[in-house]
Amino acid sequence: MNTFVNRFSTNNALSVIRKAQAVVDDDEEFSDAAWGSEAGFGSLAKGVPSFSIPAVHDPTAFLRLHTDDHADPNCRIKIQHGTTTLAFRFQGGVIVAVDSRATAGSYIASGTVKKVIEINPYLLGTMAGGAADCQYWETYLGIQCRLHELRNKERISVAAASKYLSNLVYSYKGMGLSMGTMICGWDKTGPAVFYVDSDGTRLKGDLFSVGSGSTFAYGVLDQGYRWDLTDEEAQELGRRSIYAAGHRDAFSGNTCNLYHVKEDGWRFLGNYDITKMHYDGPGDVPGSAQVAYGYDVRVEGRTSSNPPAAAATA
Amino acid sequence: MEYNGGSVIAMVGKGCVAIGSDLRLGNQALTVATNFEKVFPVTDRIYIGMSGLATDVATLREQFRFRVNMYTIKEEREIEPESFAHLVSSTLYERRFGPYFIEPVMAGLWKTQAGEYKPYIAAADLIGCLNFAKDFVVAGTASEKLFGVAEGLWEPDLEPEDLFETISQTLLNGVDRDAYSGWGAVIHVILPDKVITRTLKGRMD
Amino acid sequence: MASDGGAYSYSLTVFSPSGKLVQIEHALAAVAGGTTSLGIKASNGIVIATEKKTSSILIDDSMLDKVCVICPNIGIVYSGMGPDFRVLVAKARKSAQAYWKIYGEYPPTRVLTHEIATVMQQATHSGGVRPYGVSLLVAGWDVNRGPSLYQVDPSGSYWAWKASAIGKNMVNAKTFLEKRYNDDISLEDAIHTALLTLKEGFEGQMTEKTIEIGVVTVPTPAEIDAERMAGPNDRPKPTFRKLSEEEVRDYLAL
Repeated sequence: MNTFVNRFSTNNALSVIRKAQAVVDDDEEFSDAAWGSEAGFGSLAKGVPSFSIPAVHDPTAFLRLHTDDHADPNCRIKIQHGTTTLAFRFQGGVIVAVDSRATAGSYIASGTVKKVIEINPYLLGTMAGGAADCQYWETYLGIQCRLHELRNKERISVAAASKYLSNLVYSYKGMGLSMGTMICGWDKTGPAVFYVDSDGTRLKGDLFSVGSGSTFAYGVLDQGYRWDLTDEEAQELGRRSIYAAGHRDAFSGNTCNLYHVKEDGWRFLGNYDITKMHYDGPGDVPGSAQVAYGYDVRVEGRTSSNPPAAAATA
Repeated sequence: MEYNGGSVIAMVGKGCVAIGSDLRLGNQALTVATNFEKVFPVTDRIYIGMSGLATDVATLREQFRFRVNMYTIKEEREIEPESFAHLVSSTLYERRFGPYFIEPVMAGLWKTQAGEYKPYIAAADLIGCLNFAKDFVVAGTASEKLFGVAEGLWEPDLEPEDLFETISQTLLNGVDRDAYSGWGAVIHVILPDKVITRTLKGRMD
Repeated sequence: MASDGGAYSYSLTVFSPSGKLVQIEHALAAVAGGTTSLGIKASNGIVIATEKKTSSILIDDSMLDKVCVICPNIGIVYSGMGPDFRVLVAKARKSAQAYWKIYGEYPPTRVLTHEIATVMQQATHSGGVRPYGVSLLVAGWDVNRGPSLYQVDPSGSYWAWKASAIGKNMVNAKTFLEKRYNDDISLEDAIHTALLTLKEGFEGQMTEKTIEIGVVTVPTPAEIDAERMAGPNDRPKPTFRKLSEEEVRDYLAL
């Protein structure tokens, strides 16, 4: 009787957790026994591990109190929010571009973070919000996608994969998960991009940008985006957009990682230093006009406040 | 301090001092300008750098200019670094219960009776508690990072060019670990007979 | 009503038709009636000295101070009205401390003199007050101008002097000083000259009880540098001090 109540009462905190476990357990067709001891294979292999939950009356409220820094900027558990990530669909596939900065408060903890998670050779996920949450659950998503492939003898669609993730994070809603991700890939329907976040939002679209620098990236992206962009033009647009965000947003920067997803899977195109792009441009790469991106570099000697040498002497 | 961002540093050398700042002016995470200098001349041999709220930086620059000019006229002499530091301190303490949101850093040379010039640096908190140091002083959003780098790079009795290199590397590498500072830098090396000013290229992200 | 002031001799200082401020002239008269004070700038310091007169032998003159320390580098002496002087000393000391609070050092002699002179000048064009009935001799040392000696009058005007005298015997004393003064005079010689000058027209016996002397000494370059590198807890070494009764007695004996 109690089990029945717990399973269907929405107010009970424990039932929320049980439901979260149930979401993944439902897909589990094989018993854990097949995998032997947990110690040998790790908890990921058998599905969702059982997380230890704060031993309080209402874990959800407790976690919200300590992890939600929208409501309380001084909360104990800090989750990094500074990031710029973008992905867009076009005639030639999907372009995924991200920065590589990790900040803890104003401190730049790392400039070499990999914010594109390679779920499998056809699927990419981007990372914004909690790094651990994104990494863990997108890796987990990779496992489930592979299991789907083995079970159904065909690759999972981007729509299905993203829905799996969105349902999963929704079951943990209110417990402090923080992710803003784009699931990108190529399936039977062609190039696909889905936006999924920890609130439970899941959106299908042509063009997304996520993170504190997203507004700057959108500025460049919207201005240059067309469906019939060539591969080179699209790659340059992704790079240029991340540069803009890296330059203007204090919490984005260092380098840009660029990926291109085509029918035969994704390809990593390169890592570009944002300061180098500012002063010299991205270098000799496809789509690049090989000019500096920096405004002051481009206008040097061409403005009234900084006239060319010849004009100054005249 | 995080509203506009920015950082300042000053270092002692042999018969010279150096002072520098980054060039960022931000509105929280948004970088608005990359040519906002935070170091200003007071006399031929004294400079003051101010990090913190940009509007207060501008206001206090004029306030100090006014007070130093009045001092020069009344006393018929140029202000000395130590007196100037005290002037800065008392000006800030005047607003003890509604402070200017800046942390000043001062650098200058004072003349001994023998005619030699000796370095002088000082910093203060936003209500004017002075901190005289024999090596270096820092302020701003990157202050912790600058302390760390300076602690590693600074050594006593640096000649002007070596001091310039040391302060430049400290500032550039310090602000590269701070989200709110950077986007270029400017350094002034104060010598008895001249001031060397150089603008540095820095990371632009 | 004063004999020559007539209708213009109000307590409020107003111009007479001939352009005089009669109240100031009265104040000057009060100074001229006061005991003689003088100051001499020597090559290595300054001496200021005055005669201390009491109206009765029953007064305990050990508590009378006519030469006053304003701050560690400045001292003043006066001729004229004692109570007015006391008020000015209090204002001058306060001003010196206010300066110290702002700049972390004591004011140069000229700046402090200017402050006192401003206070005295204000009394000449403010309503409901009378001018101060004193002239002052301000002696001090500062790093910028070295030793300097100023005289301030009730009108608020001030000048720098090599040697000056104020009070009852000022005319004779100045003539005496003009004869005796030269630019190379040492502080020791200046102290003796000061005593000699006071002796002219001194009423009664010159003793350590009836003479007050203050001296400014010039610190060495090493001392000046040490002063500037001193920490916030180090007190400045005074450059102005009053001579003790023993020291005055020794000078009188010579």
